[in-house]
Amino acid sequence: MNLNVVKHATCTFCGCVCDDIELHADQVRIVEAKRACVLGKAWFLNHTAESLYPPALIDGQPAPVDDAIALAAELLDQAAMPLVYGMSNITCEAQRETVALAERLGGVVDSHTSL
Amino acid sequence: MGGKVTCTLGEVKNRADFIVFWGGNPAECHPRHFTKYSLMPKGKHVPNGRKDRTVVLVDIRETKSVKAADIFLQVRPGKDFEVLTILRALIKDQAVDPRQVAETGLTLEQLTDLVARMKRAKFGVMFFGMGLSMTRGKHMNSAALLTLAAEMNAFTKFVAMPMRGHGNVTGADVVMRWQTGYPFGINFSRGYPRYNPGEFSTVDLLVRGDADAALILGADPGATMPQPAIDHLARIPTIVLDPKVTHTSRLARVHITTAVTGISAPGTGYRMDEVPIPLRPALKSPYPTDEEVIRRIHEAVCAKPDWIHANGQYTTNQV
Amino acid sequence: MIRITGGKVYDPANGINGQVRDICLAGGKVVADVDGGRTIDATGLVIMPGGVDIHTHVAGGSINFARAMTPEDHRRAVAFIRSQSRRAGLGGMAPTTFATGYLYAGMGWTTVNEAAVPILSAKHTHEELRDVPIVDKSCLVLMANNEIVLDLLQAGELERARHVVAWQIWASKAYGVKAVNPGGVAAWKWGQDAKQLSDPIAGYHTLTPGAIIKGLAQIVDELGLPHPLHLHCNNLGAPGNVTTTLESMKALEGHRAHMAHLQYHAYGGDDWSTMRSETVQLAEYFNAHPNLTTDAGAVLFGDTVTITADGPWQHLLYKLTGRKWGNLDVENETGCGIVPYSYRPSNLVNAVQWAAGLELLLLIDDPWRVFLTTDHPNGACFWRYPEIIQLLMRNDFRRECLASITPKARKAIKLPELDREYSLYEIAIITSAGPARALGLKEKGQLGVGADADLVIYHDDPDVLRMFSHPRYVLKAGEIVVEDGDIRATPEGREFLIKPAYDEGIENFLRPLFEDQYTMSFENYPVEVQRIEHPEIRDCMGTE
Repeated sequence: MNLNVVKHATCTFCGCVCDDIELHADQVRIVEAKRACVLGKAWFLNHTAESLYPPALIDGQPAPVDDAIALAAELLDQAAMPLVYGMSNITCEAQRETVALAERLGGVVDSHTSL
Repeated sequence: MGGKVTCTLGEVKNRADFIVFWGGNPAECHPRHFTKYSLMPKGKHVPNGRKDRTVVLVDIRETKSVKAADIFLQVRPGKDFEVLTILRALIKDQAVDPRQVAETGLTLEQLTDLVARMKRAKFGVMFFGMGLSMTRGKHMNSAALLTLAAEMNAFTKFVAMPMRGHGNVTGADVVMRWQTGYPFGINFSRGYPRYNPGEFSTVDLLVRGDADAALILGADPGATMPQPAIDHLARIPTIVLDPKVTHTSRLARVHITTAVTGISAPGTGYRMDEVPIPLRPALKSPYPTDEEVIRRIHEAVCAKPDWIHANGQYTTNQV
Repeated sequence: MIRITGGKVYDPANGINGQVRDICLAGGKVVADVDGGRTIDATGLVIMPGGVDIHTHVAGGSINFARAMTPEDHRRAVAFIRSQSRRAGLGGMAPTTFATGYLYAGMGWTTVNEAAVPILSAKHTHEELRDVPIVDKSCLVLMANNEIVLDLLQAGELERARHVVAWQIWASKAYGVKAVNPGGVAAWKWGQDAKQLSDPIAGYHTLTPGAIIKGLAQIVDELGLPHPLHLHCNNLGAPGNVTTTLESMKALEGHRAHMAHLQYHAYGGDDWSTMRSETVQLAEYFNAHPNLTTDAGAVLFGDTVTITADGPWQHLLYKLTGRKWGNLDVENETGCGIVPYSYRPSNLVNAVQWAAGLELLLLIDDPWRVFLTTDHPNGACFWRYPEIIQLLMRNDFRRECLASITPKARKAIKLPELDREYSLYEIAIITSAGPARALGLKEKGQLGVGADADLVIYHDDPDVLRMFSHPRYVLKAGEIVVEDGDIRATPEGREFLIKPAYDEGIENFLRPLFEDQYTMSFENYPVEVQRIEHPEIRDCMGTE
């Protein structure tokens, strides 16, 4: 079977953000992460492209993503002081969108740094 | 004093002949830091790599990183600020009280030896971890270390750098700073950014019960935060975006599964030294990216009536 | 489509000096005529092309470092409240990205040139520039302390250096080349500086700052970059540095060059207590050498935060002030230093600096070669430009201000003897037409047919400060973006890039060096063009 090889891939597990990783992947999983450390290997090999989880949950029950997004928007819009928290394990592009959302909500946006 | 005297990691690789790790355990928490950036690489001005460098580890206990160090200084728990302040006095040849030295768990000989080595260095660097910044004294400890590094520049080249943890927490700092001016804990409730750590920081907001809804992404506070904060998250409507169903997902009203950053979601991440690095995903996720989901939530919110009045422009009188 | 009627037009690039004429806009451009559309009655108002800032620091690692260091200033700054179409922001000494766009547009500036970008963090700069709304943008890549380039210059391999520089310009998606304290930042990596143009640089055998300046100026000319080498001279801010500045200018004979923030390089004296302005000598040399352009880097009294790639200077400033100090050395390329600072009229050095910036603007006789800047945020924040315009246009106001500076400064400056007052025509040159021409942006800084429809309409107000602080209208690409102090629209601006010619094989030379000296993968180093929001790739000029 042909593996997809990605050179110069970046590991975002820790703050070192090593970008010299060579990933070998089939359709659903990474089978090799060359040059990654023990933490990085675990990070790359443990995340797959399988559908292990429902796309969304509402009150613990599987639900369509569209419904989950609509409810999320409703709950956040209704709140007087919504809190938007985290952003460590997401991309800068997603962080940029997240700050924009928090601003629209009139809420608080915060990261791990405040802990 | 405030500020930070720092560099990118390549400067350490190419120049640092004296390296201090304070309150961190890179061997286990940042495993390639030693080999890729700090200790082992042969650099332009340290051609023999490890042999050209002196490495000091300061911590309250002996971790696996001690093996990699030339000198280990075991500080009594909670005494980091005192040690740093004594070092700041010693580099300036000021007198120190022996009783205060004794309380740190270190001897004056150890400290004067450290100071002499720091001053002999051509390029010194101090890395500090959560063992310094998250223990008694917290940000005051970080400030003391940063000040020591800045003041060392009166004698030789010296820099300092925090060993940031989770992947892209640095990126979050960077993005929030350019969009709002502040690095974290930003309150938009008046329509413009306000900042007051302790008031607008997450744990405080949750423990006081101030937040009445929460959106959590790229974090699992259900596994890491103090219990009263978690209890409040369970009381209010909480929304979680995560590649997995997390502890927080289980107490949330809404969970949305997203692609994994850098594995199945493309974009940019920032290294601990604020160098931006592109991500090259190897897998195609069945789930949408965080970026996409947030944008869709934002669009759905924007379709609702806005809470802000239309004619607001600016204020020169922040309150 | 918009027709603007009845306004007094100041369009120096087309020789129009206050004549009343109609201006028609369509498709984001100035056109000869329009049929229909909106009409703006500008009777009694003044029309100029939108301002162009040739040297400012508004995006990237260093200004973002400054933001982190000055939360106390954000709290007292003007706050932009978000609307349904507009992001929130904070002004002040180091404004947020969104506020930067609002503040520039708010006073009629529509193009900005970010003057200091390390290649290593250029992705960051472009991400921020994307969040600076309304204005069009370009940026300059830092080169005069890049160790790969310096090694080639030392070895005399100028041709290969040219290919490397061209590759690096494209890798960073820059528009031109900036040289900051040539060799001095590299020396700072050892805690040293490079003050003499003819002395070898710390860490190098034979390479001198003078050789870097000449080499880079030649490379920039050979590549035909639209903007010449943009030089921040050695020895910034130091008493007596005028000799270094003059030597640098002499080293540039036969080449084009832009001398950045000349005010900071115009001092005589031996130490802080004998420091004096040497703008007369400098202007005399400058006036006689048309290969040079410059920007003032003017200083205004008040609080600001200084940020520069000049690391050693910032360490000195930290020692002088005892205030906060930020420093970031960027591997193999450059560094930056950040120190909050207050310029005080009671301080001799500050008073000399204040006077010297104005003197240069008044003593340099060709307004097409000297441009209004404050080296934002170093001399003052850009949103204070109207105060400088007032100082240039009103001699009586200058005299009032002179009365408030320390008497010790009077004999150290030339300003009290200068009575020149700028006309509106000259203001349009130093704020717009001149910098656009120096940047090689032909469709900027002018209102001829085919020009970009970026313009500002002012009240014809005898109160110059009020006139330039509160435009009646600002139009960007033909759209009204500011009206009577209100932000009406926040369109995204474009970014201008250059792709100079280079031998693709240069990557084979660079890759092994890079892998030795850097800590990221060579393949991840260049900025992908897809990251630029609205890129516009410009041509180099024909090579001489």
